[in-house]
Amino acid sequence: MRDYWLSKLFYDLQSPALASEFRANPDAVIDRYPIDGEVRKALKENRVPFLAQRTNAYLLRYYFFAVGMKDDEFIRRLNHG
Amino acid sequence: MAELAGAFAASHGPLIIREWQRVPPEQKARMHAAFLELGRRLAKARLDVLVVVAPDHWSNFFLDNVPAVCIGVGEAHEGPPEPWMKAFPHREIAGDPAFGLHLAKTALDEGFEPSLSHRMKLDHGFCIPLWRMELERLPRIVPIALNSIEPPMPSLARCYQWGGLIAKAVKSYPQHVRVGVLGTGGLSHSIGEPTMGAIYEDFDRETIRRFSSSPDDLIGYLKSELPTHGNGSEEVRNWLVAHGFAGGRGFELVDYLPVPAVIVGCGFASWRV
Repeated sequence: MRDYWLSKLFYDLQSPALASEFRANPDAVIDRYPIDGEVRKALKENRVPFLAQRTNAYLLRYYFFAVGMKDDEFIRRLNHG
Repeated sequence: MAELAGAFAASHGPLIIREWQRVPPEQKARMHAAFLELGRRLAKARLDVLVVVAPDHWSNFFLDNVPAVCIGVGEAHEGPPEPWMKAFPHREIAGDPAFGLHLAKTALDEGFEPSLSHRMKLDHGFCIPLWRMELERLPRIVPIALNSIEPPMPSLARCYQWGGLIAKAVKSYPQHVRVGVLGTGGLSHSIGEPTMGAIYEDFDRETIRRFSSSPDDLIGYLKSELPTHGNGSEEVRNWLVAHGFAGGRGFELVDYLPVPAVIVGCGFASWRV
């Protein structure tokens, strides 16, 4: 399953300027996308497995790279939530 | 008439650039030597045109439109958009519209239906091998973005057939140019999934071994094993294009080594065409 708007957010965050804005004020950026409550909550809580079910694996990795999560932590969360 | 002048394959991966300092010296030396050896072979082939086959890592395309295969037919392509690739020495890369469009026309005549782009961004998948080969000059580049990151993907058999199709286009091209193919990506790796970081050395070595068997045997093996050996391994499709270009023979391994620091089973190969 692909959540289009979640994926679009991740895709757009490849832009360093938008990623910087997102790190400073994620709500302001998320507000520009019609992302529903449960997905929005998962973003705020870094619920990696939940998000993984809704987007492409490469986009998922780009997102967590953009927000500054280390790979070790990303892999831990992929496996253990 | 144009000539088939070489076929090559090399791994890529962001950490080859971003984490290069973390690669242990012995592995770094082997990777460096393998890239340079491929670069030496590529230079020796005196290519006028190099068809580079790689996935688009969400640089040109998004879920709005994910082409199975897209040929870059523009006069020029943009260098890699990733910020960590900014030191790549070419911000603009010369293309070959005449050959690109001939390839597209040949494809359509033969029942292949690629997408076309007149202005592509060539991301790290295209550019890391070109960079690390330290070529004194780049041939004109005709990129082919072959989807191996977003399912469903082109069949393995079709990717092999694409290699033969490119060879056919070269043989029917009236200009005296020397054309090669470089497939990039693979071998095993896993990105953004629970097995991220895994390298399946046994799978890689068996894949390499089967490049010297029949195409049917190779494709059958990959079809069976790819689903359980990491999503990045799907990029072996690009090696299949090079293999098909070489008529399914003449595979020569330059080097293979699993490199945990870049989370890729790194392979380097060329074919006698």
